[in-house]
Amino acid sequence: MECVDVIILGTGLTESITAAALSKAGFKVAHIDVNPYYGSNEASLSVDELVQWATERSSGDHDDAYLQAQAATFPYISTSASTLPQSRQYAISLAPSIIPSIGPLISSLISSGVARYGGYRLLERVGIYESGKVRDVPGSKEDVFKNKDISLVDKRRLMRFLVFAASEFEDSKELAGKGDVPFVEFLRATFSLKDNLASVIAYALAFCVVASEPTLPALRRIRSYLRAGGRYGSSPFLVGHYGGAGEIAQGFCRVAAVAGGIYILGKRVMAVQTVPPNTSVDAQPTSGEPVTSFKYTVELEDLPEKLSCNVIISSADLLPPELRPSAPTHVEPPELPVVDLTGMLRCIAIIDSPMYFAVSSQTPQGSRSEEDGSTSLPDDNSHGKIDTAVIVFPPASLPGGSTSSSVQAMITGESSMSTPSGKWIIYISMLCCVGTTGTPETMLNPYLEAILGLTVSAPTDPPLKPLFTTYYSQVLPAADTLHDGLDPSVLVSPSPQPFLSEISDSTADKAEALFWKAISALKSFHYPQVDGIEAIWPSDTVQEGEDQDE
Amino acid sequence: MAESASGSADKSVQVKLVLLGEAAVGKSSVVLRFVSNEFQANKEPTIGAAFLTQKCRLEDRVLRYEIWDTAGQERFHSLAPMYYRNAQAAVVVYDVTKASSLEKAKSWVKELQRQANPNIVIALAGNKVDLVLPSPSTSGTGSSSESEDEADDATATPGETPGADGQPESLRQVPREEAQAYASEAGLLFFETSAKTGEGVVEIFTEIAKKIPIEHILASTRGGAGRPGAAGARPGARQEGVNLEENPAKSKDACNC
Ligand SMILES: Cc1cc2nc3c(=O)[nH]c(=O)nc-3n(C[C@H](O)[C@H](O)[C@H](O)COP(=O)(O)OP(=O)(O)OC[C@H]3O[C@@H](n4cnc5c(N)ncnc54)[C@H](O)[C@@H]3O)c2cc1C
Ligand SMILES: Nc1nc2c(ncn2[C@@H]2O[C@H](COP(=O)(O)OP(=O)(O)OP(=O)(O)O)[C@@H](O)[C@H]2O)c(=O)[nH]1
Ligand SMILES: [Mg+2]
Repeated sequence: MECVDVIILGTGLTESITAAALSKAGFKVAHIDVNPYYGSNEASLSVDELVQWATERSSGDHDDAYLQAQAATFPYISTSASTLPQSRQYAISLAPSIIPSIGPLISSLISSGVARYGGYRLLERVGIYESGKVRDVPGSKEDVFKNKDISLVDKRRLMRFLVFAASEFEDSKELAGKGDVPFVEFLRATFSLKDNLASVIAYALAFCVVASEPTLPALRRIRSYLRAGGRYGSSPFLVGHYGGAGEIAQGFCRVAAVAGGIYILGKRVMAVQTVPPNTSVDAQPTSGEPVTSFKYTVELEDLPEKLSCNVIISSADLLPPELRPSAPTHVEPPELPVVDLTGMLRCIAIIDSPMYFAVSSQTPQGSRSEEDGSTSLPDDNSHGKIDTAVIVFPPASLPGGSTSSSVQAMITGESSMSTPSGKWIIYISMLCCVGTTGTPETMLNPYLEAILGLTVSAPTDPPLKPLFTTYYSQVLPAADTLHDGLDPSVLVSPSPQPFLSEISDSTADKAEALFWKAISALKSFHYPQVDGIEAIWPSDTVQEGEDQDE
Repeated sequence: MAESASGSADKSVQVKLVLLGEAAVGKSSVVLRFVSNEFQANKEPTIGAAFLTQKCRLEDRVLRYEIWDTAGQERFHSLAPMYYRNAQAAVVVYDVTKASSLEKAKSWVKELQRQANPNIVIALAGNKVDLVLPSPSTSGTGSSSESEDEADDATATPGETPGADGQPESLRQVPREEAQAYASEAGLLFFETSAKTGEGVVEIFTEIAKKIPIEHILASTRGGAGRPGAAGARPGARQEGVNLEENPAKSKDACNC
């Protein structure tokens, strides 16, 4: 029997960061996933894997509890083709994301050493769709200053707002009593910003998804993005290579393995036995001694050897039924909003034609050249060709589109290692409110068409057809109801937020909280390591000396 | 470390090299021999080594190997795709005294050919050859190389191999010819090595260095952050990579905040 301190089920980003943190803090971790790939709901998949992912979840009745839960999370999935050539050269993300250059995720990537395992590039552009055109969004005061398309009056107002947004505004008179006011209204009322400027700020700088979003969190996001700009180059955002989140999860898993973690993928948990407290084989632990008795025994599919542990951390959809609170409903799969598409609607499309959007007129490129050579934009960018970009469609910006939600699209190409040469992946996501009906296709197609329109230069050119599409919906996790009634040694990891610019940092924060919860759970088993924990997050002083160089 | 001998560090080309092979065939020992010219008789199963780097000089160029050890993730066949991504070289190790380890090595080679960069240079290493050779008094083998580690000689390790003295050839389960034949058929470099005596170890890395398309790597990482894992060997990926650990000294506070 293999004995570990913590068993973690699921290799999503949250679980993976937690695994790395626990393993580095000196606990023995066994990290298990039923899927044969890393990353769970944030995985980076090849085309073949994505098709299989879709097929498994959309094909009728599931006797497997995990697939049932997955089918409830992804109630609608359709794919257009069974595969593409060079399938393996694609890294398609189930959780497309852009990473603020300053924030909890980047800090933990650096302090844990995961930064060395993966690659990143700057997000090239953010564009906003307005009356049939996509325009560059200036990401900094500098950009606004250089932008020739903005009138002087607007520039002044915009500058005033950006100065405010970058400040410690929490106690300012501008914000007093207005923290909960919808952000767009706040921009209009307090900074006299015109509708289209307010819209750019709310949807393309703060990445709000609905008009009702309150002011304070939106302002905080803008502040952190403004501060992130300039760290690695002009854009505040990074895009992770090979699909981002899924690859980053693998990096954290590798760090966990390097520190002694055991990795078992593609295996189901068959049974979990709880060992009654007093029948433990070994004597009660005395403080300071290594722990030798274990609370749980876990049996895995096809593995003769069982695993023992004291603390179990699981993603909601992998939580073994034995560990769920013994409410009578516990075997029921969560209720499905079948018609009602509350949640995220998503589209993934693969195309083979480059996309353009106009570069806003700026003072000559020269001002950029003092920047580090590695961040300078490629030549063809000056003609507006994009390889890695985000395009925001504010509510009601597109005929036939949503009037209440802002739709975010992300494009990634070869330079983020996510496609073969000459191919691009388009991700589109829309938050859907209660009561929306229709299919992801009908809801998202206008957006896809608008984006495909960016690939043709002459209006007479025939519209581009994607090589491959997947449409699906993803139900957003209800606030952590699952925690009620669980044993304190069983922790359910919170699902990541699904929003482009927030996934990474909010997940890093959640993982940190989960890590500390696990530490306090471990405390009750008298682990000597719990004193003087070194977490991968705090103080920038955390360093490790594995790399022999430099 | 022998780094200091290397003169112009800037001209070095980084090469990501991954290690594969059954547990306990000596993967980590081979690397330890290459990187530090050491050997530990009872090496623990690998934990705690993320990757090691070692320079290797080749005529006018310097290669800097970034060597990735499996960290045990292969134990339950759970090696992450990240491990292979952009690896320009792989050393697949088996143990000459264990036939099954060659079978395992063959399956790793297949996996690499399926998953990894198509131009990857793969070397097959039959390790622990000291156990089957009539005790090699050739302590010089390891130091005939161009590596920077040649300074201190290889034989600090006392021969504490129990039972290996008697009739060594009988321990051999994989004939050299068999492995050699497989390697040529599969297009692999082939060596028999001993992490213990150092035999053949440096040769693996220098022969790989000769076979690696350095110009190609240089072209794709020129000027950039230069990490093979980051900037990548894909031709189209220009030097747009960002090194997260780069000191972000020039954040333009004055104008952003
Ligand atoms: C972050 C941010 C980024 C923006 N980026 C752009 C951008 O890249 N391109 C852009 O056109 N607008 C941009 N705007 C909007 C811009 O600042 C003006 O608000 C907008 O162009 C004026 O639109 P309007 O319909 O209110 O004015 P109207 O008075 O209706 O404008 C009439 C016409 O004049 C043009 N126009 C207005 N101001 C200018 C100007 N200063 N220079 C040249 N033409 C002008 C308009 O494009 C329009 O065609 C941005 C705003 C923000 C907040
Ligand atoms: N005699 C002899 N023993 C060796 C040689 N190489 C490795 N060993 C021994 O074999 C054992 C396993 O070596 P490791 O380097 O840990 O093997 P590994 O392949 O890295 O093992 P894992 O990390 O567990 O996969 C250790 O006890 C080494 O001392 C060799 O060339 N000759
Ligand atoms: Mg090892």
